Amino acid sequence: MKLTDEMKEALSIIGGGGAVVHLTTCSADGKPNTVAERFVGVFKDEYIVIADMFAQKTRVNLFENPIGVITIAHPVKGRTWAFRGPTTILQEGLPPDYEFHGAVAKEVLDEWGNWAEKEPPSEVPPDIKPPRLVQRGVIIMKVEECYSYKPEEAGKKIL
Amino acid sequence: MAKLTPRMRNWLEGLGAHIGTATKKGFPTVIVVDSAKVEGDNIVKFQLSDAQVEQIKQNIEENPRVALGPGGLGSIRAAYQFKGAARLEGNTLIVEVNEIYCTKPGPEAALRLDVLPYESVIKFETTRWRDTGPPK
Repeated sequence: MKLTDEMKEALSIIGGGGAVVHLTTCSADGKPNTVAERFVGVFKDEYIVIADMFAQKTRVNLFENPIGVITIAHPVKGRTWAFRGPTTILQEGLPPDYEFHGAVAKEVLDEWGNWAEKEPPSEVPPDIKPPRLVQRGVIIMKVEECYSYKPEEAGKKIL
Repeated sequence: MAKLTPRMRNWLEGLGAHIGTATKKGFPTVIVVDSAKVEGDNIVKFQLSDAQVEQIKQNIEENPRVALGPGGLGSIRAAYQFKGAARLEGNTLIVEVNEIYCTKPGPEAALRLDVLPYESVIKFETTRWRDTGPPK
C-alpha cells in the first residue's frame, strides 16, 4: 500500500521537534505495549520508519510478534490515522541484502541509520530532549492498512 | 497495587490516551480517546463512541490486557505508559492499572514506577518535569 502525499507530509515533519506517533506492539500472547516515538519518517512511499534509540519492550515484542500499529499523536486537519502492518527492527550487522517485506536493510540504514545527523532535534525542549542520540537501528513498518481513529468513525478503512 | 500520581491523573484526564488492545494471539488494534476520568488510586474510565466499542469489543472480551499512552501533548510531556486489565460496561471502558512505566527517552526509558515507593515516584516526577499536567 502506498502512502498518500498527505500521509507522508504528516509523518515527515522536519523541525518543530518532528512528528510524534504512538507505536503499539504486543507480545505473542497479546500483551500490548504503547509508547510515543518522535523520530519518524517515510521510506519509499510504503514504509514508516522510526529511530530505534531506547526501545526495549518494543524490541522483545517485535522479535516474537512482528506487527504494529502507528497512530498520529497530534492529529490536525482530520489526520486521525492508524497505520497497521508487519513491523521489525533493522540494525547494523544484518546481511546487506537482508530484506523485510521488500525493504533492503542496507538501503534503509543508509538513509535512516543516523537520525541525529540527518534531522537533528534542535527544537526539542531541554527537559524532554534525550540526553544523547544513540541510535541502535531503525524500526520499520510495511504499511498494509490505514484506518481512522476518529471516535465516530473508529475503524473506518482509509486505505 | 499501582497508584497514579496527581501529574499522571491530570494528563490522562486532560488529554486522554492512545489505548492499545490485542487479540489473545497478538493482533493489535488501537483506539484514541481525548479525555478520561481517574477514580481511586488506579481506575481509569474512558467514554467510547459506538464505533470504538465495536472496534475493540471482541479484543477486550478475549484478552482484557491494554496499554495506555497519554494523548496529544501528553505524548511528549507525559512520558508514561500504563498497563492494566480492561472491561466494557456499556460505552465505558474501565481500566484497572497495575503497571506504570517511565517512557522518557534516555537511561530511564522502561523504568517501572509502580514498584517504587509512592513518595519516590513523586520525587522522580518533580525532579524531571516542571509541569503538573497539560496547559490550561
